[in-house]
Amino acid sequence: MASGDAGRGERIFWAGGCTSCHARPKAEGDARLELAGGLQLKTPFGTFTAPNISSHPEDGIGSWSVDDFANAMLRGVSPEGRHYYPSFPYTSYTRMEPQDVADLFAFMKTLPAVEGKTDGHELSFPYNLRRGIGLWKLAYMRQEPIISLPDNAPEAVRRGRYLVEVPGHCGECHTPRLFTGGPRLDQWLAGGRALEGEGTVPNITPHEDGLADWSETDIAYYLESGFTPDFDSVGGAMVAVQQNMAQLPDEDRQAIAAYLKAVPARANGYKRANGEQ
Amino acid sequence: MKKLIFAASALVLSVSLVAAADDPIAVRQALMESNAASAGVAAAMLKGEMDYSPVVAKAAINALHATALAFGDYFPEGSETGGDTTASPKIWENMEGFQEAVTKFQTDSAAAAEASGKDGPADLEAFKAAITPVLGNCRGCHEDFRIQRN
Repeated sequence: MASGDAGRGERIFWAGGCTSCHARPKAEGDARLELAGGLQLKTPFGTFTAPNISSHPEDGIGSWSVDDFANAMLRGVSPEGRHYYPSFPYTSYTRMEPQDVADLFAFMKTLPAVEGKTDGHELSFPYNLRRGIGLWKLAYMRQEPIISLPDNAPEAVRRGRYLVEVPGHCGECHTPRLFTGGPRLDQWLAGGRALEGEGTVPNITPHEDGLADWSETDIAYYLESGFTPDFDSVGGAMVAVQQNMAQLPDEDRQAIAAYLKAVPARANGYKRANGEQ
Repeated sequence: MKKLIFAASALVLSVSLVAAADDPIAVRQALMESNAASAGVAAAMLKGEMDYSPVVAKAAINALHATALAFGDYFPEGSETGGDTTASPKIWENMEGFQEAVTKFQTDSAAAAEASGKDGPADLEAFKAAITPVLGNCRGCHEDFRIQRN
């Protein structure tokens, strides 16, 4: 791996939303740069706990090499060669540019070392069998983009595709899942049932169930300010995501908006997800 | 501008009509729509889509403040479901936490009302400084206490 540039890595850090899961729950301000872990995701598969990924040498990832980090991000494999659970969204990160991974690692090295290991995941059978993840990866890790674009697609749409499909991992929540936990790619970004608790995650395709009424400017403004065109506000898990998006340069928010208007329009994905309704 | 004032008075009228129906879900939804209308006017000025007007700024701040004072009273036991509510069950599971969030909204809106004075914030910068902390309450409270359902 080439050596990374911490300044460029910060942009990937915000695009990737690392802090939404790996900062302490409810962290604000600079505390969002302390990647102590501890957030629990209570899902139908069990409870996942985000680990400490601060630069602490024992409790975090401070002793990792850039190759260890790349293996985790791009292959979902720990330095000891174990599979990570895909609650860590390497299914999206696997398509990251190697230079972006190196830059991100360089930036994370500059963040504080925080003591303290987190509890492990508590999963129900059969999801507690880590070996099964290998098969899951064979089925769902892909190297091609999810949405293919015409050769003459504008640069902003391409950049947006990268940001949304890869570091931003938007599809992890906004795309409905199969019973296996894999994404339904024919329903890409069509919205899903919330994996945690009640409610839904909105359809963000240009369908009338989704963002048909939103202009690209509306989408970019929402990501910057947290306000919808009707001046409803961002809520739920998207609050932390939007705070990350607000840290990006405006051209990245515009690119995300351009891509979201270019994906195939789909009716809401959650009515049909998991065989419901 | 006239349209705006007309819309604002229509909103107040619709609030009083549903209040007569004694329906806390409808009242809190109308209060939220009033918040959205205030945020919309504020954002239009902050984005430069509308010329800055101290009197409109004051109206937005005071409407938010009035809503903040009233809002927490419309979540009685028994109003957890129905009427397309997007209120999260966490409100009733953690009423203390919810009321704390409402109190923070009130504190921030009171400070903004105080800062806007008799004639409204003098310029856009002063308005931005006054209203930004108030608007931060939208996402702060919606993070935990609102459910997406559409």
